[in-house]
Amino acid sequence: MNIDEIFDFTSFTIDREPHIVLDTKVCIGCDNRGCTNACPARCYTWSETEQKMTFVYDGCLECGTCYVVCHRDAFTRWHYPRGGFGVAYRMT
Amino acid sequence: MTRSFQVIVVGAGPAGSSAALTMARAGLDVALVERGTFPGEKNMFGGILHRMTSIEEVFPEFWAEAPLERHIAKKGTTFMTGEASFHVQHETVSFDRTPYNGYTIFRPRFDRWLAQEAVKAGATLITRATVEDLVYQDGRIAGVTILGRTGRISAPVVVAADGVLSFMAKKAGLRRPSFDPGQMAVGVKALIDMPREMIDDRFGLVRDQGFANEFVGCTGGVRGGGFLYTNYDSLSVGLVFHLASLRTSGKTPYDLFNAFLEQPQVAKLVRGGRLQEYSAHVIPEGGYAMIPELVGNGILVAGDAAAFCNATGVNLEGINLASHTGILAGRTVVEAHERNDFTTKTLNRYKERLNFSWVMKDLKGFRNAPKMLHIDRIYNEYPDLVCSMMEHLYRIDGTPKTSIPKLILREVREKIGLGKTLSDILTAWRAL
Ligand SMILES: Cc1cc2nc3c(=O)[nH]c(=O)nc-3n(C[C@H](O)[C@H](O)[C@H](O)COP(=O)(O)OP(=O)(O)OC[C@H]3O[C@@H](n4cnc5c(N)ncnc54)[C@H](O)[C@@H]3O)c2cc1C
Ligand code: SF4
Ligand code: SF4
Repeated sequence: MNIDEIFDFTSFTIDREPHIVLDTKVCIGCDNRGCTNACPARCYTWSETEQKMTFVYDGCLECGTCYVVCHRDAFTRWHYPRGGFGVAYRMT
Repeated sequence: MTRSFQVIVVGAGPAGSSAALTMARAGLDVALVERGTFPGEKNMFGGILHRMTSIEEVFPEFWAEAPLERHIAKKGTTFMTGEASFHVQHETVSFDRTPYNGYTIFRPRFDRWLAQEAVKAGATLITRATVEDLVYQDGRIAGVTILGRTGRISAPVVVAADGVLSFMAKKAGLRRPSFDPGQMAVGVKALIDMPREMIDDRFGLVRDQGFANEFVGCTGGVRGGGFLYTNYDSLSVGLVFHLASLRTSGKTPYDLFNAFLEQPQVAKLVRGGRLQEYSAHVIPEGGYAMIPELVGNGILVAGDAAAFCNATGVNLEGINLASHTGILAGRTVVEAHERNDFTTKTLNRYKERLNFSWVMKDLKGFRNAPKMLHIDRIYNEYPDLVCSMMEHLYRIDGTPKTSIPKLILREVREKIGLGKTLSDILTAWRAL
């Protein structure tokens, strides 16, 4: 299973409005960045050279891991997508 | 626009739909609000629906009515390392008779069915509606607002059945504002297509029989475990990780999952299958210690929202607890409507009902299980110990054999240490 191909096997209806908004400034001084490895959809990427956090919400499985793992309250918004948007499981 | 109901249920998972069904059958005007396009669209789990006696009271022939896959007739546990595995299995004819002990299911089908049963009983199902906030009037709950929509849905009482993160319980001030990763786990799962005959042959099944297997030692040292369950023509395969342990490990769920699928003995089990869907979800595994405040003025919390999950290490029970607590919350609201009183005092009857039920008794009884499951050695050293002992027992290589007690002592000393092993046994004894 290749996580880069997540859109090939799981369905999403992506909203224009992100349901999770990250204040990436908070991430710069973070001592653990558990979100980058714990997120099962690899939505968080930290660049050591640029000292920069990139977050994409497109392939978010709405699992809740980042909400639990982040200990610095880095989210300016964390709610579920609007009705009808986000991940859509068919047979799990 | 405002629509008025006698009660609002947030979330059409097993807890919410069971609550809605109970209240609609008692004649209440119920709004069942779900963010998915249909109930179950957002929901994943490992895959075993354990027997639900309280649902069998509503559906006496549950197994004939609900959209279920195979019933679990065979259960196995595998201790494994990267190379080896040791497998134990239990099978009995009694699990092959109705009422069955458990089933595999698909959430998008099962949750939808249960919600439809609530609708048949008279509940109004409102889908594509993410509840944003609770509305208060004169210090009392008056309804909810929906994200991206104007107006609100009104009712004097709300059942929060919105799952593990329960933003409803948070907004009502019933749960702590943040979670402890030490009390949470995340599960990832792949649904793997496989022809029915292949599954029957490979796992030794006939008719509607199903097989459920748990794995220990397959998580790269991260606290957690694996599972493989048979559906009619697919396998549900996944891993569960404790979040505090996953976070510090620096490892990713998908890399560990791939390593699991490639472990030689597991690879044989999934060979010939095709990946259909990948999903993930958080599990409240803190047990009794994690239960939030269950009742507020005009609000009750049920299911995962109240951390009603029992991870004993043997089974992961969630849906059965969700459904049962939903029913108890529903009964309490029916009673509150008879008295037209939705204060904490009246709704506290829910807590009494819970304390009296098997749900609280089980969670209390297993309140030390989370501590046991925090023994890191379970996930690496012990599976390794078991596999290497078995290898020594089976191996014939022209050298003199060690007696079995000596072998056990030597392996335990080398791999773990006697003191640690005894203390782990004691912890497990207390937990179980
Ligand atoms: C990997 C994994 C494996 C598991 N394995 C098992 C198992 O084998 N057996 C078992 O019994 N249990 C298992 N569980 C646990 C089980 O899935 C849960 O305990 C159960 O689903 C809880 O039911 P619930 O109704 O309380 O919550 P959920 O099933 O989470 O339902 C909550 C519902 O509320 C909706 N919702 C949430 N927020 C809002 C909102 N703001 N507005 C509108 N709707 C909202 C959601 O879309 C969802 O439909 C597992 C869980 C996981 C993650
Ligand atoms: S854990 Fe929180 S603060 Fe740290 S990098 Fe991740 S999102 Fe940012
Ligand atoms: S909710 Fe889950 S999938 Fe979505 S960004 Fe957070 S960790 Fe990743």
